[in-house]
Amino acid sequence: MSMESTRSDKSAKRSFNNNRNSASSNSNSNPSNKKKKTSQKTLGVAWGSNSRSSSRSSFSNSPFSNFGSYMVEKNRKLQNQFEAEASTSSHGGSGSVKPIFDGVSIFVDGFTVPSSQELRGYMLKHGGRFENYFSRRRVTHIICSNLPDSKIKNLRSFSRGLPVVKPAWILESVAVNKLLSWVPFQLDQLANNQPKLSSFFTLKRSSVSNSASTHAPCQVNPEAEDSSLKVGTSGDTYFSEVSEPFEHRKQISRESDDLVNENSNASLVEETAGSSGKPCEVAMGIPSNIDAEDESSVKNDLQSSHYQPTALVSSNCINNQNMKGSPSSMVSEPSNQSHSTLGDPNFVENYFKNSRLHFIGTWRNRYRKRFHSLSNGFNCTSSNIKASPLKTAIMHVDMDCFFVSVVIRNHPELLDKPVAVCHSDNTKGTAEISSANYPARDYGIKAGMFVRNAKALCPHLVIFPYNFEAYEEVADQFYNVLHKHGNKVQAVSCDEAFLDVTDSEGDPQLLASKIRKEIFETTRCTASVGIAGNMLMARLATRTAKPDGQCYIPPERVDDYLSQLPIKALPGIGHVLEEKLKKQNVWTCGQLRMISKDSLQKDFGLKTGEMLWNYSRGVDNRLVGLIQESKSVGAEVNWGVRFKDLKDAQNFLSNLCKEVSLRLQGCGVEGRTFTLKIKKRRKDAEEPIKYMGHGDCENLSHSTTVPVATDDVEVLQRITKQLFGSFHLDVKEIRGVGLQVSRLESTENSKQGLERNSLKSWLASASARTEELCKNSHVAKESSNRGCEGEGDETLGQLCGNSVGLSIQMDSNTSNGAACLNEVSVLPPLCHLDMGVLKSLPPELFSELNEIYGGKLVDLIAKNKGKTENINHTLSAYSHEKIEGAMKEGQAARLSSMVFQNEIPVENKAEQHIAKEVLAVSGAESFVPASGLKKTDLIPSSLSQVDTSVLQQLPEELKVDILEHLPAHRMQVFSPNVLLDPTEIPLEALGTKTAENNSGSKDFVLDNNLWVGIPPQWVDKFKVSNCLILNILAEMYYKSGSTGNLSPILQRISSVSLHQLDAFQDGWDEAMYILCELLKQYIKLKIELDIEEIYVCFRLLRRFAMKSELFIQVYNIVSPYLQALVGENYGGNLHMSLKD
Amino acid sequence: MAGETARILVEFLEVAITSIVFLKGVYPSGAFERRRYMNLVVQRARHPQLRDYIHSAVFGLLPFIQKGMVERAAVIFFNTDGIPVERFVFKLAVNLSYGSKVEEADLEFTLRSFLIKLSVSESLTKVLPCDYRWEITAYFRSLPEASANKDVKQWIPTDARQWEQPPLLTPIKSMSSKPLCVQLYIEHPSLSEPKPQNGEV
Repeated sequence: MSMESTRSDKSAKRSFNNNRNSASSNSNSNPSNKKKKTSQKTLGVAWGSNSRSSSRSSFSNSPFSNFGSYMVEKNRKLQNQFEAEASTSSHGGSGSVKPIFDGVSIFVDGFTVPSSQELRGYMLKHGGRFENYFSRRRVTHIICSNLPDSKIKNLRSFSRGLPVVKPAWILESVAVNKLLSWVPFQLDQLANNQPKLSSFFTLKRSSVSNSASTHAPCQVNPEAEDSSLKVGTSGDTYFSEVSEPFEHRKQISRESDDLVNENSNASLVEETAGSSGKPCEVAMGIPSNIDAEDESSVKNDLQSSHYQPTALVSSNCINNQNMKGSPSSMVSEPSNQSHSTLGDPNFVENYFKNSRLHFIGTWRNRYRKRFHSLSNGFNCTSSNIKASPLKTAIMHVDMDCFFVSVVIRNHPELLDKPVAVCHSDNTKGTAEISSANYPARDYGIKAGMFVRNAKALCPHLVIFPYNFEAYEEVADQFYNVLHKHGNKVQAVSCDEAFLDVTDSEGDPQLLASKIRKEIFETTRCTASVGIAGNMLMARLATRTAKPDGQCYIPPERVDDYLSQLPIKALPGIGHVLEEKLKKQNVWTCGQLRMISKDSLQKDFGLKTGEMLWNYSRGVDNRLVGLIQESKSVGAEVNWGVRFKDLKDAQNFLSNLCKEVSLRLQGCGVEGRTFTLKIKKRRKDAEEPIKYMGHGDCENLSHSTTVPVATDDVEVLQRITKQLFGSFHLDVKEIRGVGLQVSRLESTENSKQGLERNSLKSWLASASARTEELCKNSHVAKESSNRGCEGEGDETLGQLCGNSVGLSIQMDSNTSNGAACLNEVSVLPPLCHLDMGVLKSLPPELFSELNEIYGGKLVDLIAKNKGKTENINHTLSAYSHEKIEGAMKEGQAARLSSMVFQNEIPVENKAEQHIAKEVLAVSGAESFVPASGLKKTDLIPSSLSQVDTSVLQQLPEELKVDILEHLPAHRMQVFSPNVLLDPTEIPLEALGTKTAENNSGSKDFVLDNNLWVGIPPQWVDKFKVSNCLILNILAEMYYKSGSTGNLSPILQRISSVSLHQLDAFQDGWDEAMYILCELLKQYIKLKIELDIEEIYVCFRLLRRFAMKSELFIQVYNIVSPYLQALVGENYGGNLHMSLKD
Repeated sequence: MAGETARILVEFLEVAITSIVFLKGVYPSGAFERRRYMNLVVQRARHPQLRDYIHSAVFGLLPFIQKGMVERAAVIFFNTDGIPVERFVFKLAVNLSYGSKVEEADLEFTLRSFLIKLSVSESLTKVLPCDYRWEITAYFRSLPEASANKDVKQWIPTDARQWEQPPLLTPIKSMSSKPLCVQLYIEHPSLSEPKPQNGEV
């Protein structure tokens, strides 16, 4: 034993090496070791037998039939133990301690601070209970500090509706010696991290949405600090009866999803041409305060400061009564944000849930269900009517101020008082009156007026909230009466219908009064009836009849009636048309009649012109019961739309798509043309007077047509995302969004649709094999897919000027007969197709597919045959070589595959993989021609996928060939390979592509402070750099959570796509230089205290280096520096070689 | 406050070293029993001598850690020739001037991660030769004066040899907080190191 000098002079080294040590180390020598082992064994056995005997003894006492009864027994014992301890500890304690946790029984899940044992101690001491095993019956609260993602996602099944609370709840309750509300202590993760998106996606999830869901985390996260606020502010009241608001909401949303799915066969917003602009304003007005309570429906919140409607029945309830049964919770939120899209990820859903228009829309569905047989029977007979148009008698029945009268029918004292219906009666509010009764109208109160204005006009105006349940009931009664008196009923709305009473005996006027009387008796609400020879006139007659009256316009009086009628009164004439006509000095129908049909048609279009001409003469050829096919289906939200960032907007859009998709499915139609309408705040517009309204807006719209009709929510989402991207808007400026689907095709009768379905499934099965590829290739695929989409968008960007760009895009779409962008969404994108499969298709199938893809397939095949470019030759040969090489390599490849997992060569997989790559690139390529950027280039993206070892194995001439082509391609391939969604970094990306300036290099002069600050200086520098990889780094800094550590950033990059990192040439050296500098400084920063972080970073870098030339160089430069520093600090080298 | 930090650290070292010994399978697994530490299942030596060795060695370091004298603590596995095969090194940096109260829970939370990582690090370690010994070695920044403290007497110079080449490091875990920085890494002989069997020094 001797002192040894250690490497550093300062340090001395000592070993604890006394006899104990030698004893223990001696014990390693075999004999003693054995001895020890045996002794240990006996110990182990002793322990085991102990426990066994103990359990056996209890078994013998009460023989357990199974595990379940054993657990029952065990739980009972544990409880007894606990109770025994509790009694001693509370005696041992001050004795007078009030049992603050009386009735509370906790279950501790996972690691907590303090530990579960301590918590148990607290529960012991303060009269609570502690459960070792979770039981829904006994446990009242789940305590945990942290939950794994899987549990968060499945919170419902995990918590069974119990509150999930942080341990601080117990500690603080003990501290103040009383039971605090658990609500503020709810687990942060739950409060902040409502995984709403994922729950939306769960309905139909296919491989596409899987890939989409990889984005989901970043979309979900930033939401809703507000929601934690909500929880924080909610009071104690909903303590035990309301278990867990968020879950409930989720549950509700799920349920309602299902419900709508099943039931809303006709939940549509119909928009007949011309009127599309109008309804938005009204729609906006409706939800205001209701949205405040949106997450929940109503119950115990009367004490909250907001006015609460007494019974809020969401429109979904109309669809299904079960809905009412679902437990609901209430969180009152003073926060204004929750009214808007900002605070509420479920905004869209709740918006429609509380919208009156939505109620009306979905009501139709209910009506059709209910009176299906009746209207069917009618449809059969309707053909008879056509023959005798002479003596028709049409009746138009309309309830008088339906929304008000239904609500006040139980308040007879209010009958002659001014009453209005609105969702809020806040007198200062900017909520809009949706309906007012006649006494109120006398004060000048009109629908659409702000409450505060109405109150100013009539201070004693009584305002009621909606009562959707009652509306539903009354509407049913109303239609019952109508159907009793005639089987030719055409429902217009829940409170309005046409009857064809031609066949009825007796005077239509008598019949009308009879109907009105019956309606009043059953519903206690009044209705007015107009009778005339056609629907137009009947409707106009009702106008005169109102309120509570009836009016008959005989054919001979039609002209008189119309001549003085203001044009506005005609259905189909809205603001715009009215203004136009007034400019021509046309105020009444009489004046309108002076204009010839031709000039009307010239000015207003064929259809509108004809309509005007007919209507002004009281001509209406529509037949009662002829159900108009809706031309479009859509949904629009113009109230409360405020986005914080792009993710908000995307989230909102995907919800909107969901809604539209449900409506499409409800109507049983699929659409081909998708129009995204955006209301954009005007530059100088102030915050609107109406609370959360849209204010003064520009209306923008883009549309696109896909070759095959769809109602699939994922497709919609993708199309919408693309459309949205084409606006190039600042999301903060958006005040309203609408998605409309037109060119509808019925789902069932389209034979083509069926064929498509089968084809689709066939394709899916063909590509199923490709799906087996490991994750990495999936990522690669995804990114190439994204590349394609990105390309599309960028094409637009290049063409500049949104509308111009769009129209060009559209033109090319239509003229090609194939929308290149849209194909991506509707069918498996070209790049997903397996070349081998395509080639081996039977010719007829192929031609059909080709048609669907608008002829691109032929090009694709042609290209792949290498007709156009010998590069393709090279490449395909090369890829074959690659496979062979990979196979030959066998284990050798496997060794390197640790880094290169996606290359693990099961033969055919690898083949497919490569085929797919080829496709991916040529797919991207085939999108390009629209913008005139010809690119035929495959190599770089594939090359960077190839690991160098395989490259080495290639025959020399091939290698040379490939490498020769490489530099040229780097330049070209850049744009098809844009990594990121261009909407995120559009300018930089474009800039890099075109600009050759190296002005940026000046910024990268030696600067030792790259890592200083939050965010570190390099982030800003990289962000404005014209070098893609640097942009990505900066981007990833934020995406990875801005921790200031490099490894999360690199990790992110590795998940994005590596094979395209080299896809640029400009500023290569510069990028390399700055990257090295960044790394060096990082090493310096971390070397002393966090060698692990450096280690992780360099392992990642080394992985990048396998795929990227740039990173090979960076790695080679920085590595020696790293090792030197490690040596300096740790007296060794980092172990960087590949593990085997 | 450094005292508190040091106490936690020493406690942690005891558990961590036991975990390493367990991980390397020096003794049959029956020599350990499952215990809970920082809410984690850890191993504790059952054999009193083994337990005592680890305990006394580590707690013997306590006064020096408090003074900030200990730079590294290592668990060294070496063959019969006394040539190290594998070394688990804890690099310590205690901030003596750290004034404010140490949040014990925070500290424990980060230290936990060492134990978790350690329990899955077996693949990073080397298979030990059949006959080997191990010891706990501490590296001091400066030699403590033997007379000053009776604790020092427990410590004797090691007879383990040094590697001739700088070793290869494999970091396991690092933590840095204001009061305390701990890094754990494994050292292996570099590839150019003469094979232990051949080394005849």
